[in-house]
Amino acid sequence: MNRIIRGNIIDITGILIIALALFLVSLSSGVKVSSDFPPSLLNLNTIFLSILIEALPFVLIGVLIAGMIQIFVTEEHIQRWIPKNKIMAVIMSCVVGALFPACECGIVPIVRRLVSKGVPIYAAMGFMLTGPLINPIVIASTYMAFGNDIKIAGLRMGLGFIIAIIVAMIVSMLFKGNQFKASLHLSHSHEQVKDETFMNRFWSMLTHSIDEFFDMAKYLIMGAFLAAFVQTYMPAKSLLEAGSGPVSSLLVMMGLAYVLSLCSEADAFIGASFSNLFPTPSILGFLIFGPMIDLKNTLMMLSVFRFKFVFGVLSIVASIIFITLMLLKGFI
Amino acid sequence: MIFNFQQAIRALILLAFTILIFHLHFTGDITKFINPKYVGLSQSASIIFLLLFFIQITRIWTNRENHHDRCHHNHDDHNCEHHHDHGNTPFTVKKLFSYLIIISPLLSGFLLPAKILDAAIAEKKGGMAILTNQKQMADAGLNNGSSENNNKTGTEERYVDDNTEENEIDENLLIHENADPNDLEQNTITKDEYEQLTQELLQNSNIVMDEAMFATYYDEISMNIDKYKGKNIELTGFVYKEAGLKQEQLVISRYLISHCVADASIIGFLTELPEASSIKEDTWIKAKGILDVTTYNGTVLPYIKITNWEKVSEPKEPYLYPLNIKVL
Repeated sequence: MNRIIRGNIIDITGILIIALALFLVSLSSGVKVSSDFPPSLLNLNTIFLSILIEALPFVLIGVLIAGMIQIFVTEEHIQRWIPKNKIMAVIMSCVVGALFPACECGIVPIVRRLVSKGVPIYAAMGFMLTGPLINPIVIASTYMAFGNDIKIAGLRMGLGFIIAIIVAMIVSMLFKGNQFKASLHLSHSHEQVKDETFMNRFWSMLTHSIDEFFDMAKYLIMGAFLAAFVQTYMPAKSLLEAGSGPVSSLLVMMGLAYVLSLCSEADAFIGASFSNLFPTPSILGFLIFGPMIDLKNTLMMLSVFRFKFVFGVLSIVASIIFITLMLLKGFI
Repeated sequence: MIFNFQQAIRALILLAFTILIFHLHFTGDITKFINPKYVGLSQSASIIFLLLFFIQITRIWTNRENHHDRCHHNHDDHNCEHHHDHGNTPFTVKKLFSYLIIISPLLSGFLLPAKILDAAIAEKKGGMAILTNQKQMADAGLNNGSSENNNKTGTEERYVDDNTEENEIDENLLIHENADPNDLEQNTITKDEYEQLTQELLQNSNIVMDEAMFATYYDEISMNIDKYKGKNIELTGFVYKEAGLKQEQLVISRYLISHCVADASIIGFLTELPEASSIKEDTWIKAKGILDVTTYNGTVLPYIKITNWEKVSEPKEPYLYPLNIKVL
């Protein structure tokens, strides 16, 4: 008897967990909260869940890719691929990011894994900044949102790319090492994995992905909650009234992009709805800053990198975008 | 054999995410959160969660020997410390806190009903300020005289009123035939079809703002207000009001969802109807009226003079989704 249980223990626990989950679900449907629950909290909850539901597929893809990098890419690969020259490395990383169709929610686990595999921090940042900003879906949605006009979409991609390169360059000058939090040690080499079969490697890729998911999920959830909170309770109107001059309107739009934490595939429509309240440079500030770094993303980065580094990158990105757009405002 | 409590919790959480997403799809509530276009994407998330769950259950029981799994093998170097939590380390208050965060969306997802965004959110999103600035594009195209036009209450308006009664009869002239249901499901049309639609819109004297075309027509009308002035319009939306509107004015509005509810933007027409003050915010109404032009805070806006209206219940699909125009 004991042996039978031992032999099937995984099946048995699986079934027990499924039963428990179904029990909890059926329990929950009995206690639906009544309608006198404050509507603003329900709004908050709906927005919160919608951000999560939208982000989860991308996060899952992100952690799966991260798991793949962890298991199948070795330090030697990275050393061979990344150019020794810093400038070349930055440009390459930005190009790879531009070709790589990522979303800003899924990119942090990938970046973390790349850095732990020995990708220099500046190259990883270049990749992180262009990944969500430049991809076909973003181009198409921006094109559409601005009345089928290629100008804004083109400026968004072009300026974004240049800004990403500048930021990555500055990062390469200011920050050394991997910038991981002290509590996270740079990892273990998986040398021993080489001898294992493909199935085993595939399996450990998946288990790594699960751990990665649990690492990221809590930051994603906090970020989604904060963004939903801001949307539910912060009146955009007062912000809009605050942003009258070119400087303040750019600051307002960048601030909005940061706190709203919209997906880069969808933010063009929101940006477009401001398009004549504010001048074009401010709209571009919204469209470029949001995908690069936002509230949700900052929290996820804080789970991996040092506080000083995250805020360093955040302020570099913000100031470079601000300066670039201010300089170019006469030409746009 | 050792039972890893945390691994079991993680398995339960993964399964709960699977069930939550599946549950939303099953009940159809998913469209209250995301654009149906992305339904497939979130279904695949549910499937990935399920897969991860099946992998996770194998980690609940471990043999004592390989408890520290692969780390055990290369102990000569100290690189073994993983920079992420494998769920094998002792359970601390900090961890309890992170698990609580992770289960919070599960709890609120199962316990709280999905809510359709209401007028309160519209106000937070900027309300009329957003509506008026969307229209400034049209502003450029209008001559300066247009703002005076709508203040002339005399002859012009009477002319418009006459027009209504005539046009109310030929309601069959709806532009529904353009709307091939298959196309609308995918919400994608080609550029030619789009041009054709706007052409037909211009020729028709009755405009019916149905769900699929609402946003497209809205843009078109806002951009060329003058061309549409005097036409009959029929629309459904919820009532939004804010300080600064006149007694007999209200906004009939809808949310446009491009990806998920978080990126909802408000669109709507400023309307005039005598009973406006008695209609509560968030009431869904179906209204018919005549398109006109007005200025609001210095911006030229389309304006609907409502001729008749009725309260309706909230539509099954309260949100609008943008029409995709194939660019290639």
